[in-house]
Amino acid sequence: MSGLPLSEEDLHAFADNQLPPERSQEVAAVIAREPALAGRVAEIKRQNALLRDALDPWLAETLPRKLLHASAHPRRVSLWRRLRPALAVAATLVIGVATGWYGRDEVLRREGTPVTFSRQAALTHALYAADQNRPVEVWAADEQRLVNWLSKRLNFPLRAPDLNSLGFSLVGGRLVAGNEKPGALFMYENTDKQRISLLVRRDDVPSHETAFRYAKEDGVSVFYWIDDTCGYAISGRVDKPQLLAIARVVYGQLAAFEAAPPPRP
Amino acid sequence: MADKLPDALPNPDLVAALPRLRRYARVLTGDLHRADDLVQDTLARAWEKRQLWRAGSDLRAWLFTIMHNVHVNQFSMRQREYAQTSLDADDGPAAGWEIPVRATQADRVELAEVLEQIGRLPVAQREVLILAAVEELRYEEIGDVLGVPIGTVMSRLSRARDKLRRMNADTTSSLKVVK
Repeated sequence: MSGLPLSEEDLHAFADNQLPPERSQEVAAVIAREPALAGRVAEIKRQNALLRDALDPWLAETLPRKLLHASAHPRRVSLWRRLRPALAVAATLVIGVATGWYGRDEVLRREGTPVTFSRQAALTHALYAADQNRPVEVWAADEQRLVNWLSKRLNFPLRAPDLNSLGFSLVGGRLVAGNEKPGALFMYENTDKQRISLLVRRDDVPSHETAFRYAKEDGVSVFYWIDDTCGYAISGRVDKPQLLAIARVVYGQLAAFEAAPPPRP
Repeated sequence: MADKLPDALPNPDLVAALPRLRRYARVLTGDLHRADDLVQDTLARAWEKRQLWRAGSDLRAWLFTIMHNVHVNQFSMRQREYAQTSLDADDGPAAGWEIPVRATQADRVELAEVLEQIGRLPVAQREVLILAAVEELRYEEIGDVLGVPIGTVMSRLSRARDKLRRMNADTTSSLKVVK
């Protein structure tokens, strides 16, 4: 029998089943002859079992939501998590600008993914539609100037769809954070003071085209679609059928507009 | 579909590790709420460092390592003297052990006592003991998790077990007197 006498380490390793089989057999043989050692090993094993009995019930507890959340890929959740507080206060210009930039950063990293675009649209809508005093930078009274300005900034001919047939009139528009480039936001309002917005974004790189898609982000409904390098999103706190009707009208008008573009401003 | 699916699903491997991470965090912090904060910080750190994880290696041990480091950092930042007296010291009470004993566990007085006894061990001994006895990590793995040589693992383990045995002998002898 080699390697005797037993070390303290051997006893622990034996009790914890960490010895290689051969050594384990040797140790077992020694312990069998030494009641004091056998007693110590039994004590360690008893402690181990007790510890497990005491601590194992914790494993069956319900996991808290925040930890499940933290187990998801952070890039896919961080935008929303970071912006949710901002949405709650929703409207000071400072916050608008700051979140716009965070949003932009996030969108850049996840370029072209429709889900992000819907979030961006919902966020932008929530920020500006809640602003009673200054939801837009340029009011509808200056519609031509608004359209020219935004077209110039986006470097692409824009037009504000006419939604009067649906009871929504143009409030105005503003420049917002887009993807690599700025985006344009047109805001509409009906007589019930409900607001909806159209976000237009244009990227340098074409995204996967999508058909109409619907998403609901923190109470804001969004219909969006991506057409080559252009993304469009209609957002509002209105129900899905109503928003779909609006989205169809917008889509139809934009398609007609594209088919016969006016001379560029 | 798009309006129903969560935006990002929890990673199943991480979720599977969560119960053990929570348990280890409780043993480290001795506090249910601080434990969950520690788990959350650990997960954030794990995502940041996910390139460093070698696929196929033991995710649990890797997460324990991160948790240990996060805890040590927070520890020394927050409570320098706590670290001095309790992280390594062999004696003195381990501050802040506030794990409540659940009613179901209290059915066995022994188990309630064990929980309380763990709390009286210094954090460094607690860690080794739990990783060896409960998580059944190999001693070398424990050394990796804690960033200490295996000799340190063994001496801490030995001291932790001795202490538990002595605490237990005390309670047993007092019980015998009652009989």
